Amino acid sequence: MPPESSTSAVISEESVESVDIRDQPAIWTRLIKNPSVIIGGLIIAVILSMVPAAPLLTSLDPTDISPRNRNKPPGEMTVHKDEEGNKYEIKAVMGTDKLGRDVYARVIYGARVSLLVGLSVAIIAVSIGLVIGLVAGYFRLVDAIVMRVMDGLMAIPAILLAIALVSLSGASLFTVIFAIVIPEIPRVVRLVRSIVLSIREEPYVEAAISVGTPTPKILIRHVLPNTIAPLIVQGTFICGSAILLEAILSFLGVGVPPETPTWGNIMAQGRDLFQLYPHNIFYPGIFLTLTVLAINMLGDGLRDTIDPRMSKEI
Amino acid sequence: MQNTTDPVLSVKDLTISLPRHADRNNAVTRVSFDVKPGEVLCLVGESGSGKSVIAFSVMGLLAKALNITHGSIKLQGEDLTHATEQRMRELRCTRMGMIFQEPMTALNPVMRCGDQIDEVLQEHTSLSAGERRQKVIDMIEQVHLPDPQRMYRSYPHQLSGGQRQRIMIAMALILEPVLLIADEPTTALDVTTQAQILHLIRELQSERQTGVLFITHDFDVVAELSDRVAVLKQGEVVELGTTSQVLSAPEHPYTKMLISSVPLHEPPERHAISADAPVVLKTENLDKHYSTFSFNRKNVVKAAQNVSIEIRKGETLGIVGESGSGKSTVARCITWLIESTDGRIWLAGDDIAKLPKRDLRNLRRKVQIIFQDPYRSLNPRRTVGQSIIEGPMNYGESQVEAMAYARELMELVHLDPDGLDRYPHQFSGGQRQRVCIARALAMRPELLVADEAVSALDVSVQAQVLKLLEQIRDQMQLAMLFITHDLRVAAQVCDVVAVMSKGKVVEYGRAKELFSNPQHEYTKALFDAAPGRHFQFARN
Repeated sequence: MPPESSTSAVISEESVESVDIRDQPAIWTRLIKNPSVIIGGLIIAVILSMVPAAPLLTSLDPTDISPRNRNKPPGEMTVHKDEEGNKYEIKAVMGTDKLGRDVYARVIYGARVSLLVGLSVAIIAVSIGLVIGLVAGYFRLVDAIVMRVMDGLMAIPAILLAIALVSLSGASLFTVIFAIVIPEIPRVVRLVRSIVLSIREEPYVEAAISVGTPTPKILIRHVLPNTIAPLIVQGTFICGSAILLEAILSFLGVGVPPETPTWGNIMAQGRDLFQLYPHNIFYPGIFLTLTVLAINMLGDGLRDTIDPRMSKEI
Repeated sequence: MQNTTDPVLSVKDLTISLPRHADRNNAVTRVSFDVKPGEVLCLVGESGSGKSVIAFSVMGLLAKALNITHGSIKLQGEDLTHATEQRMRELRCTRMGMIFQEPMTALNPVMRCGDQIDEVLQEHTSLSAGERRQKVIDMIEQVHLPDPQRMYRSYPHQLSGGQRQRIMIAMALILEPVLLIADEPTTALDVTTQAQILHLIRELQSERQTGVLFITHDFDVVAELSDRVAVLKQGEVVELGTTSQVLSAPEHPYTKMLISSVPLHEPPERHAISADAPVVLKTENLDKHYSTFSFNRKNVVKAAQNVSIEIRKGETLGIVGESGSGKSTVARCITWLIESTDGRIWLAGDDIAKLPKRDLRNLRRKVQIIFQDPYRSLNPRRTVGQSIIEGPMNYGESQVEAMAYARELMELVHLDPDGLDRYPHQFSGGQRQRVCIARALAMRPELLVADEAVSALDVSVQAQVLKLLEQIRDQMQLAMLFITHDLRVAAQVCDVVAVMSKGKVVEYGRAKELFSNPQHEYTKALFDAAPGRHFQFARN
C-alpha cells in the first residue's frame, strides 16, 4: 500500500484543535502529599519492623512460664534465669500475665501472627477473588452460577466457619486463615465483577474483540489493569478486618493455639483477671487498635489518591 | 422604567482566568456582547472555546477554579460580577432562567415534574398552593405538553427526552425572566425533537420578548434560530454580527473556515460504482431481537427487522436514522459484536451469520469498525502503537512487521509516526479518531464500518476526518458502511443511503435521488426537521 501523503503534512492540518495533555503529577508525588497515607504508612512501617526485630527488642521468651512472676503490674521488676542458671532482674514494662509470661515480649512477638494473618488473608482473598471475578464478569453463563455460590459463601459467618473447622482439624494458623479468607472472597469477587461489567462495554474492549484478540488476552491486557487500583484499596481493608477477626477468634478460643502469642490470645487469657490486672488486655488492645487504624487510614488515603472516583461515590 | 431597546444583558470586556497548568491563561478573554429584549443571540464555537464558561458566569455558577479577572456582566443595568450569593439566588429564575444540555440528568429523578416546577414558585413567590398549581399547569400547557394534569404527576423517567426538555423550559420560563440562557439544549435530542424544541423556544421568546443567550456548536441551529451570532475562538469573540451577515458573508478567516466545514445538504456528484464491482457485504432479512423475561411474560424488542442491504467494493452505504432506530444494531451484527437472531450476512461470499466461533476468527479481520467516542475507544493504558499492532499480531504477524506497517498507516492518516510511542491522552479527539482508523486499517479489512465515527468531533475536525475516510476508501478500494444521525454528513460521503426507523429500513436508494426526492413519509419528516436546511451558508 503506498503511503500517498508526505510526512511534512503531519498533524499541522489539525491546528484548530488544541492538543490536550493533562499534566497530572505522578502517583507517587500525590501519595506522599496525602496525610493519611503518611501517618498510616509510618505506623505500619513501625509495626512491620517489629517482626524481624523482635529478638532485639526483648531478650525474653514470650512463652516462658514463670510462677514467681505471676500478675506483676507494669513497671515492676521480674526475676529470670539465663542459660547458665544465673538469676537476673528485668523491668516488666507492660507487666506479666497470670502464668508469669512477659506481656511486652508477647505483644512484640504477637505482631508476627497478626500481620501474617492480615497479609496472607488479603493476598489470598484478592488473588482468588480477582480470578473468579474476572471470569464471572466477562462470561454471562458463568456469572449466573458463580454469583449464586458466592451469595452462599457470604452467608457463612467467619466465626461459625472457624468453630466448625477447629472442631474438625484442630486449632492452627492455617484454619484461622482459611476461615477468614472464605467469607472475604465473595466481597472481592463482587467488586471485580462490577468493574469488569462496566469495562466490558467500553469501545476499546469491543475494538480488541473485532481485531481478533483472544478472550484471555482481552481479560489480562484490557480488563485486568482497571481492577488493580480498587483492589489495592480493598486489600488494605481486608487486611485490617482480618487482623481484627483473628483477634476475635483467638479471644473466643477457636483461633491460633493459646500458647502462641497473638494479640487476641493475650487478651483472651487476661480476661478473667481483667478487673484486677487490666494491663493484660490494655496493651495488646492498643497495638491492635493502632494497627487496624493505620491500615484503614492507609486504605482511605490510597483510595483518595489512586481512585478518586471511588472516594466521591462512597 | 426599562427602555425596550436597552439590552437585557450586557457583557463588557469579560475576562475569566483559568487555573495554572491549563492549556491557556484565560478561558474567556475580553468578550463583549449585548442581548436585547426579544432577541436571540447565539454564542457559537467549537469545544473548548469558552462558550459554556460565559453562560455559567452570567448565572453565577462558575466553578471555583475559574475567576472573573476583568470586565462586567450587567443584567438590566445591575452588575452581576459583584453581586452577593443571596442576590444571585434571587435573580436566577426571577430574571434569568437556564436550560441545560442533558434533559436526562437536569431533572431530579425522585420528584414529580409538577413539584419541580412548583418549587421555583414556592421559593420566589407568595402564591397559595392552589394558585401555584394552576400556574404550573398553565405553563405546562404553554410548552405544548399533552395532558398537563398527568404531566404534573409524572416522574422524569416516564417522559421522553423532548418532553423533559419542555419541562426544563417550563421551569426556566415560569417566572417570566427577561433573559433565558440555553446551553446546547438540543444537542442530546433527535433531529425531529430538536426542531420542535427550537420552534417552542422561538415561540415563547417572541411572545414574551425574552432575550435569549443560546449556546451551540451547530451552525444549522444558529441559522434556524438566531438573530445575531457571536463566534468564539479560544475564548475570544472573533466575529459578531447578524445571522445572515455572519453565515453568508463571514469576514474572519476562522469563521470562514468553520462555516465552509459545514457539510452541504445536497449530495455532490459522485462517480458511479460499476455494476460488476464485487459485492463485499450483503445481508438478507437480518433480524435482531432482544428478549427479556419478567415472571411468565416474555418481552421482545425488535431492534432490527428484515434488514437487507448490499455494499460493493469502493462504495459507501450510509444508514441514517434517529436514536433507537436500530442502525447501530445492524452495524454490530455485521461486525459480529452481537449475534443476529435471524437472517443471513454474506461477507465476501461467506455466510457469517451462523458460523461457529472458530471459523469466524479468520473472517473477522475482513470487517473492521470505528466507534463514535474517540476518548473511550483506545485503551488509555496502552500506547497508540500497541493498540494498532495488537490486531495484526493476533494473526501471526511479527512485531517488527506490524510496527513497520503501523508507521505507514500513521502517515496515511496524517499523523507523525513517532507518535506511536505516545499514549492516547496525548492526542486530541480528532487525532485519536485517526489512530482508530489506522488501527482498523492495520487489519487490511475489506469492509470498514464507521459507527457515528465523526459525531463527537468539532465541525472543522469532522470535515478533515470525513475527507480522510473518503481518501482511504478510494485508495484502498474498501467497502464502507457509514452509520450516522447527521443528514448533512450522510449526504456528503454516501453513495447509497438506507433510512431506518423503528428497526426497519423504510427507504433505500442512491443518495442523490433519495435526498432530492424522498418517498417515504418518515424520510420526508426527517428531512423537513433538519435545521438550517434552507439557509445558504458561505462557501469558499
